[in-house]
Amino acid sequence: MSTDPASPVLRIEGLVKRYGPHLVIDGVDLDVTAGQVVVFVGPSGTGKSTLLRCVNGLEDIQGGRILFEGQPVLSRSSAIHAVRRRIGMIFQSFNLYPHLTALQNVTLAPVKVLGEPSKEVEERARGLFRKVRLEHRAHAFPSQLSGGEQQRVAIARALAMNPHLLMFDEPTSALDPETVGDVLAVMEDLAREGRTMLVVTHEIGFARHVGDRMIFMDGGKIVEDRPPEEMIANPENPRTRQFLGSILHH
Amino acid sequence: MYEFALAGLLPYTGPLPRAIVLTLWLSTLSILLSVAVGVLGALCRTSTSLVLRWIGGAYVEVLRNIPLLVVIYLIFFGLAQVGLRVDGFNSALIALTLNAGAYMTEIFRGGLIAIPRGQYEAARSQGMTAFQLYRYVVFPQVFRIIYAPLGNLMIGIVIGSSLASVIGVEEVTTWMRRAGDETFRYMESFLAVGVIYVVLAQTINIGRIVTGRWLLSRAPIGHRR
Repeated sequence: MSTDPASPVLRIEGLVKRYGPHLVIDGVDLDVTAGQVVVFVGPSGTGKSTLLRCVNGLEDIQGGRILFEGQPVLSRSSAIHAVRRRIGMIFQSFNLYPHLTALQNVTLAPVKVLGEPSKEVEERARGLFRKVRLEHRAHAFPSQLSGGEQQRVAIARALAMNPHLLMFDEPTSALDPETVGDVLAVMEDLAREGRTMLVVTHEIGFARHVGDRMIFMDGGKIVEDRPPEEMIANPENPRTRQFLGSILHH
Repeated sequence: MYEFALAGLLPYTGPLPRAIVLTLWLSTLSILLSVAVGVLGALCRTSTSLVLRWIGGAYVEVLRNIPLLVVIYLIFFGLAQVGLRVDGFNSALIALTLNAGAYMTEIFRGGLIAIPRGQYEAARSQGMTAFQLYRYVVFPQVFRIIYAPLGNLMIGIVIGSSLASVIGVEEVTTWMRRAGDETFRYMESFLAVGVIYVVLAQTINIGRIVTGRWLLSRAPIGHRR
């Protein structure tokens, strides 16, 4: 499928997400073009993670629409599998498959879901383990890995599907401080390769150095959407100013 | 004066091997079928559909609360009365499967709810279909959880199969009654059959352990020898 380079990889129009009476996302519009690294910041419970989960249909939506590479994302349609295969997701709690080795975690879906030959996939997986700097841990089980190692395996697992979009849902929030840097370094490499990435994080340093856009969300709405340097140096909205102030100077 | 003499049973050992094979066959089939019932029942009980959850729950509660003996009678005599004739072996097989299937459902349900939501989300986020998700991610983990409780239930099925004797299935307990009746060596026949059941139950249990080890040691993908 050839896509017009100018057309966005991801287009979100008027997205509304409710849990019962509780409005979590309140009319979000967003275009993400290929190669952009978009960092989402904001207080907890403002819909950042939910937004990512809507993009690959882990959550159904109550209003608006989401187009991924021109195709509507419908969480209950059978076409959702094809969309998810092209979107890699990294979770706060890693969610590695505990019964499989790190290598098997990475090769499972390409072999079983994409139907690729296991030899090729394994070769590719070894390359990915080098990329996330874990060559020596390929045969360990998740329970034998540190949090930072597990998260890097999870990144390799997502990359193994050759995704067109990577989504990171607070990838370092569950990590010991000393392993956060390893994970962020891998993410920075990916950004430099020109990957399209959506990142929900509280790591303002990462946002500043790696992000192309920084989106501040509050109350289910996008409040500000600007280059990170600008937003951090000079937040326009009082809520943004208050939030950045609280996390930068504590 | 009573004198213990196991040798008194010797003339009646001829049909014993067949009886043992029948007990093993009935138990093994019941185990395999009730595992299938248990998987389906557990999927119903953990389904998002209220109707399926209700059906699964009703099945478990009804079958768990009716004695196996009554279920056997229902199928063998009850169904015959309404014109549906099921022979002794199949009646016992169906009754054992329905009864054990209810317990299997609960065991598998326990295994399923022990799998964290994140596992489902990770598998879904990789584009797995429901079948792939259960086949490669969920059930391999469920299997590890239910592996031990499964052993209890499997032994229960072997022992429960003795009730097939009440509808004339020529299995080990039937042999015991007959040998006792004909020789008046009741004590000997009861004890002999007790030992036979211990051996049979343990044979099945060892089968479980060996199969389990083999399944667990097998790499799910690649490196398969």
